[in-house]
Parts: sequence; C-alpha cells; structure tokens
Amino acid sequence: MSTKRGINAIVGSFFRKKGQMGAQATSATFLVTIGFVIAIACAASSLVLWWFPYHLFSDEVYNVVAVNAPESFIRFNEDMQAYRDHEAEEYGDRYNYFANWEHMTEFEYSYDGYGWTEFIYKESDALYDFVTFGKWMRENDAYLTIVFPKDFDEQIDRRESGLEAQKPELLTYFRTNSMEYSQMKEDFVDEYLVIYQSRIRANYGLKITQVADSEIVDDPIPTVENAYGFRAFIDNMCRTFVPILLFVILLYSSMSTGTNVIAGQKERGTFTGILLTPQPRRSIVIGYLLGVVLKSIIPSTIIALLAAVFIGEFALDTVLVIFLYIVILEIFIASITIMISVINDTVVSAQTAFLPIFLILVAVCVTCIQSVSDRADFYMYLPVYGQFYGIGDALTGTITPAGLLVSSLATIFLTAIITIVTIKLLSSEKYTVSIDTVTAKEIKASLDGSGGTLLDTLNRITDNFSYFIAELFYPLFVLSFYQFLAMLPVVVAYMRKPEYSQFIQDLANVGTIENIMNKTFEVLGIFLADPLFLALMTLGYIAIIFTYFLHAGRVWKIKGLKNKIGSVGYPLTDKKHIAKHYGLGFVFGFLMMTSVVFIMLATGQISFNGFNLKLSGIGVFILNLLMWVPQGASEELMFRGYMIPAFKRRFPTAIGVLVSSLVFSAFHSLNSGYTPLASVNLVLIAVLFALIYLYTGDIWMTSAMHTAWNLTQGNIYGLQVSGNNAAHSVVLTNYSSDASSLITGGAFGPEGGLAVTAVTCVCLIIITVLLIVKSRKAQK
Amino acid sequence: MIKLVDVHKSYTKDKETIKGVSFEVKKGEIFGLLGPNGAGKTTLMQMIATLMKPTSGQVIIDGLTADKDILEIHKRIGFLTNEIKLDPMSTPNNLFNFFAELYDIPENELKDRRDESFARFGISPFADKRINELSTGMKQKISIAISLIHNPPIIIFDEPTNGLDILTSKQVTDYLKELKEQGHAILLSTHIFSVAEELCDDIAILVDGKIVAQGSVEELVRQSGTETFEKAFFKIYVENHKE
Repeated sequence: MSTKRGINAIVGSFFRKKGQMGAQATSATFLVTIGFVIAIACAASSLVLWWFPYHLFSDEVYNVVAVNAPESFIRFNEDMQAYRDHEAEEYGDRYNYFANWEHMTEFEYSYDGYGWTEFIYKESDALYDFVTFGKWMRENDAYLTIVFPKDFDEQIDRRESGLEAQKPELLTYFRTNSMEYSQMKEDFVDEYLVIYQSRIRANYGLKITQVADSEIVDDPIPTVENAYGFRAFIDNMCRTFVPILLFVILLYSSMSTGTNVIAGQKERGTFTGILLTPQPRRSIVIGYLLGVVLKSIIPSTIIALLAAVFIGEFALDTVLVIFLYIVILEIFIASITIMISVINDTVVSAQTAFLPIFLILVAVCVTCIQSVSDRADFYMYLPVYGQFYGIGDALTGTITPAGLLVSSLATIFLTAIITIVTIKLLSSEKYTVSIDTVTAKEIKASLDGSGGTLLDTLNRITDNFSYFIAELFYPLFVLSFYQFLAMLPVVVAYMRKPEYSQFIQDLANVGTIENIMNKTFEVLGIFLADPLFLALMTLGYIAIIFTYFLHAGRVWKIKGLKNKIGSVGYPLTDKKHIAKHYGLGFVFGFLMMTSVVFIMLATGQISFNGFNLKLSGIGVFILNLLMWVPQGASEELMFRGYMIPAFKRRFPTAIGVLVSSLVFSAFHSLNSGYTPLASVNLVLIAVLFALIYLYTGDIWMTSAMHTAWNLTQGNIYGLQVSGNNAAHSVVLTNYSSDASSLITGGAFGPEGGLAVTAVTCVCLIIITVLLIVKSRKAQK
Repeated sequence: MIKLVDVHKSYTKDKETIKGVSFEVKKGEIFGLLGPNGAGKTTLMQMIATLMKPTSGQVIIDGLTADKDILEIHKRIGFLTNEIKLDPMSTPNNLFNFFAELYDIPENELKDRRDESFARFGISPFADKRINELSTGMKQKISIAISLIHNPPIIIFDEPTNGLDILTSKQVTDYLKELKEQGHAILLSTHIFSVAEELCDDIAILVDGKIVAQGSVEELVRQSGTETFEKAFFKIYVENHKE
C-alpha cells in the first residue's frame, strides 16, 4: 500500500478546480489579503506625505488663531508682516519676493511661507476647549490654533529671573480634515515659532546659542536625527506591523481552510467515504495537514516578499529565513486547526472552537511588541515568540541562526505532538462515526454528557469557562457602553469650561494613580449636581434595563416582552404583589440605612447639623430620586435578576450567588476611598440582596431597597454613596473630628465602615432564617 | 466472508443497541437485513465496515478482524450508505480519480475501470458536471461506482434503492444479481419487500437489536404461517417488539 499516493491525492484535492475544499476558503482568504494590502498601502502613504502634493486638493486655508496671545507675540507678528511687505515692495509683489528667496524650500514656495497668514486674536480661560477652537478656525479660514497660557509673559519673566524651572507651554490645535494641516502645523512651529523664540531670548538679552537652556517650544533640527527617525520607524514596522499582519493572515487562512476540511466534510457527509479507504489515519491527517499548509501559506508568503522588497533589507537570505519561519509557523497553526477540525462536526462549531486559539495567538503577538532592548533573549528560542521576533529581526537585517534552529525545532516538536494526538483522536469512533439516525442522537447526547477521556473533560471545562467569562463580562460591556454615551455630552461640555484646564493641570501634577482616581471622582461629584448628567444617566440606566430584557429573551429563547421581563426577575403577574414588594423594599432600604446612621450617631461618629435642603436644590433632589430608581433597578437586574439564573443554568445556585456578589463588589472597586472592608461589605450586601431575591423570587423588593438605600444615604443623610458625593441632601451631617473611618467608612461612605457590616449581618441572619423556614415548609 | 459472533454494542451503560447478533454471509450469497428504523441495522453495518467497534463479540471479515488488519479489511469491503455523500462541488471524474488514488489502483488500470464503470451506469455524459447539478438517481449510481471502485469481494449496501425511480432501481438490482453471480458476498439492508424477495438468499429480521427470525423468504413465510412475505414480516415484528 502506497501511503504516499494517498497523501498526494488528499493534498491534490486542495488545488483541484472543481471540488473538495475549494472556493469558499480561498475567496475569503483572498478578500482578507486584499484588505490587508490596502491597509499597508494606507500606512505606506503616510510615509510619503512629505512629498505628496496635498495642497493641490485642500482648501486655501492659511490663517492662525492665537488664543491669549501675549503682547510680545502680537508685536512679533506685526514686525514680521511689515518686514515681508517691505521686502515685497522691493521685489514688486509677494509672489516674486518668495520665488526669488533662495533659501526657500519647495514646500514653503507652494504656500507662501506665511506671507498670507493672518493672525486672529482671541481670549479664553478654557485651554482645552477644542470645540470652540474648531469653530474659530472654521470661521476664520484658519488651520491652526495656538493657545498661550494666560500668564505667559509672567512665566517667561519668572523663568528668566531664575524663579521657576518649568518652561511655559503652548498648546496647538490643528484642523484634521486634510492631512496637510498636520504638516503645516509642524512647519509653523519649526519655522515661525522658533524665530519668535529667538526674539524672546533676544529681548531678554540671552545668547541664541543657549538653545537647550531656555527653549519655549521643542526645537527639532531636521538633519541627521530625522533621517534616523525615518529608519527607526521602518524598523518598528518590520518588528510589529509586518509580523502581526503575517500572523493574522496565517491564522485566518488556516482557520478557513482547516475547519473546512475534516469538520466541513463531516458536515457534508463526505468524510466517512475517505475513512473507509485503505489509507491509514496517519496519512489522512498528514495529507490534510500538508494541504492546509500549502494552501494557506500562499497569501502570507506574498506579503512577506512584498515586505522584504519594500521596507526590509532585501537579500536572498532574509527572504529565505522569513519563508522558513512562516512555513514552520504555518505547520504549527495548521496542526491545531486540523485537530480542532477532527473533534468538531460542523464548520461553524470548529471555527468557534478555534476562536479562543486565534485570540490567544494574537494576544501573544501583542505581547511581542516591545523594543529590542527590552526583550529577553530566550524568547527567540520559544515557539511562536521565536517566529514573531525572527521575522522582525530578519526584516531589519539581523538573523540569529541559533534562534531560528531552536524555535523551529521546538515548534516542530509541538506540532508532532499535536499531530499524534490528532491521529489518535481520528481513530476514536466518537469523532468519526457520522451520526444521523434516531438512536444516534441519543448516542451523541450520551457521549457528550458522560465524557471519560481527558479531552472530554477539557472540552467541558473550557466550555463552562467561556460561559462563565461571557456572563461575567456582559454587565461590564453594557454598563460601560451606556455610561459612556451618557457621559459624553457632559464631559464635552465640561471640557469647554476653565475648570477643565485646571483639572488637567492638576492631573499632570498629582503623581499616583490613586490621586488621579480621586481627582476624577471629585469631578463626578460635580456632575451629580448637573441636571443634564442626571437626566442622561437616568436614560442610560433605563436603556440598560431594556437591553437586559432583550438579551435575556434572546439567549434564553423566551418569546413575548412580558415573559422576557419576567425571566430577569420582574414578574408582571399581580399588581398588588408588585406594589407590596416594591413598597416594602423601599421601607426596608430606608430602615437599614437609618439604623446605620443611628449607629454612627450613637457612637458619636457623626453629628446632626440641621436641615439643608434649599428651594433651589429641590429640582436636583427630584432628579436624583428619579435617577436612583432605574439605577437600583438596573444593578439589581444585572447582578441578581439576570446573573443568578444565568449561572444557575450550569452551576449550583450557591456559585451564582457568590460570583454575582463578588462581581458586584469588584464593580465598585474603582470608586474613590475603596478599602478591603468596603469590598467585604459590598459582598455582604450583595449576598443579602441575592438571598432576598431567592426568597421572594423577584427583584422588585431588592430594586426598591437598592434605590432607597442610595437615596437615603446620599440625598437624605448627605453621606457618600460608594465613594460618590451626592449633591443635595435633606439633612446636613458632619463627621466628628475624632471619627474613625473604620466605622464610618471614610471617603467611600458608610458602605466602607463597620456600621454597615453590623446592620447587613443582622439582616443576613434574618433572611437566612426565613429561607430555612421556607424550605422546611416546602418540604412538608 | 462476513461472520458475526455474538456481537453486542452499547453506547451507554444502561442501554444495549445490539444485543447479541450472529450470522454469516457466504461467497456468492445475498444476505438481507430487514428491520424498522432504530432496530440497529445501521449500527450493525457500521460495525461490519469497521467504523465502530463492537462492545463484545467478534466481527470477522474474510478471516480478518478490525483490531489487526483494518486496512486489509477496507481493501476487501465496498460500503454504500446514504450517510456517505459525494462532495457536491466535485465532479464524477475528479471523485473517481481521487478515490482511485486513495484505494491505490494502479495508474494503468484506472482509465479502463473508470470507462467501464461509467459506461455501465451511463455516467459518462455527466463526468465533468458538478455533483450538485445531478439527479438523485445519478448521484446514487456514482456512489455505487465509487464504492465498488476497488472491486471488493465483500459488498455492504444500506438501502441502495431508496428514493430511486423504477428504472434506476431496476438497474441497481440487476447489477446486484450480476455481482452475486461473480461470486461477491453481499450484505443488503432494505425497506422494500419486493427487493428483498427478489434478491436475498437469506434474510435476517432485526427487531430491537436482536435477530428474531432468519431464513429464506419461503422459510420465513412458512414459519409465520402467513401467505406473503410482507404479512410474515409484520407478524414476526409484532410478536417480538416490546414497548
């Protein structure tokens, strides 16, 4: 029996015009390749920007807006203009003046070297208000805005007299609707502001040679350094973009071909015929492996060649080494796809199973992006890492034979193991018998359930794990999506205020992450008094609630809006029942927080300072109330009503309760003043709410409790809600001077203190007793 | 040529699909396997074709067992079932060549064999058309041609005439008779009583994973005390099927 002939036949089937694993895979690969080629072309076009005649297509926009321009700058501009006018008179007109200026570069010639530039002077306190700057630029045909600090002149004075070491900074904003403007900005800084800088120095009687000491703006001298910069850029491309591109293409093309072969043939019912031929499983696996390798290596080889020709050091050995790396890598990837193909019955399931591997390999590539000096040598000898670095190095002209040899051998060794496992798997009837008949469906079900082999266990674990992760991250995605939308207008509005400039400067000055977080939460406190923010957040929470209704309906295959709403803990059966649960929940929430406050009052931690609510605050108070309702409801929905049943589908209820509570606590961990005790408290509160949910069977009660808790805490007693300062409260409370943050929770609010721990524990005991009583009753 | 000795197969611990089946198919004989859906015919045939292993008992093909000589068995068996499909994007020509290489048929014989096989079933005009452009009957004929590409001494046909028109059906049964005359051992499963009556020398009736009756058509009719083979089958089935 000639197994070689069998392998040949299988490999040949990849390249036949009609049939087998033909068209589908290649066209997809082809499209992806084309897409990447276009992407490369775009990236490459940015390299040639400096000679590309963009100005032929752009608007004739030459003006510059100067914000808070100091007297010296205005005078400088006038002088420059007068000088030009004078020169122009001598040459007859402006055009001739510039045309005859021997030092002028081609680029300057093309748009006049600022001869036509007019300066528009504006004043603003908000240094980061790019919205207004954009408007000014559009109104005045300007491409650039230069923003001076208000006290620019004083800063210069102080610096020159040695009082301050920091140099004043200018901010520049440029229009982005033409790529030319970025270049024009650079030139304006390099050519115009640099002269202004020398003028300042001259004014202060400094020598111009003392450049490094007192520069206002960075002064890049476009000489050798820049050439080096271009080379460095190309090197970076070779080490990052090109290897990633090759990896993605290899992965994508082997995924599309590899899953289409065995799994695809199983799906189409053509695989059994091949298994029945007198070919050993070994040659079938090797045949498909080689087929996939040969088929999917073509696009990446082309890309590698192009890369070597255009951006790398083109040399025969470079190309050969890159090709070798690609081949080895492709064999490795193909062996994985073939294995996955063997253990799956359809193309879709195989591709789904391959996805995590795809992501892992891409993640490995991302971790490979680091500078040459940072990376440890042994990476060169590892599979995948070795190939990534090897390709990058080869493109930039360094070849490490030892790395090539060791990483290749290691990869081949791995591939051999995978292939042997694949051959073994293909001998198991679980993965080979086509299952179609009635009894067979039962067989399939029993095989999936009762797994005995290590692989089945692994399959189950990964499956459960991905379910787990997906359920865990869903609330994060939904929450961040809607909160981002809700915050966007508020943040943009804030950026236009002078406070924002101060905020940014403060951020630049504070060092630690914690300080930055605290600063950010201060700003959030300001937002909480902003009606626009409250309204948008309310809408955001409502949107989250509806997203969850639809999501639960979709994943749990529930039809009808009413049933969908019911499935996530809001049964709409009985109005009286709902009203009772919601009302009771509100009362409980209020009582719980009130007892917390009483504990703190009784222990002398806080003092009562009279009523605070002014007429002007009532509007914000009501808006706060309106926000807390959907806020509580959405959090209950995410962490109780949806997450607990979602986990219950696969795991014991206890895991659902525990995990949802931990996640709930973790979600608040970024809030200011978060302490270990706060995290424990939040877990306890979450467990309490979860048990109440299990007891009542709905989240009407916990939603009301959640709302009442936050409202009472923030807007009645004026305490921090999970690190957020509420804006207007009914009662004014003050912390005593000797208050212990252990009890009060410090900046996080009562939820970070022992008072809450005590109250929550009491409630936990009550609900546990109630649950036990209920389950005993049910048993009887 | 095919010999089953007390074959059991269970997919789960508590349920046995095949509960001790023994029979023998000799050279030049057509052995019929009859039974309702779910009786275990497909499982039995897949075990004979070495796609599955029996839980206990032995399947002996031409004196060989699947443990040791699986590839030798593959050379001796031609297996046709509806579950084995032809690649819809390929052509009869391509498929024939592909499988000829997998069965390692010498290059010099290949063309003659293809011409002969294609001519017999009238495939030649469609040799370069895609499979998904062809009729069900034509696909079945191509399947038969490919499953017998290596001229195996043992032939296992699962419902070979299912879904075929009368003319194609006749072509297939005639071919089977011819193969029998040439001395092939043929195992046939079918739903169609007329086919079974016409072709089979020996028939086993499979109910719930067990052979409940075996013999020639005349013997089965006589044993059950009915007039026709069809009535005999239903009587035997009702007597042996437990809910």
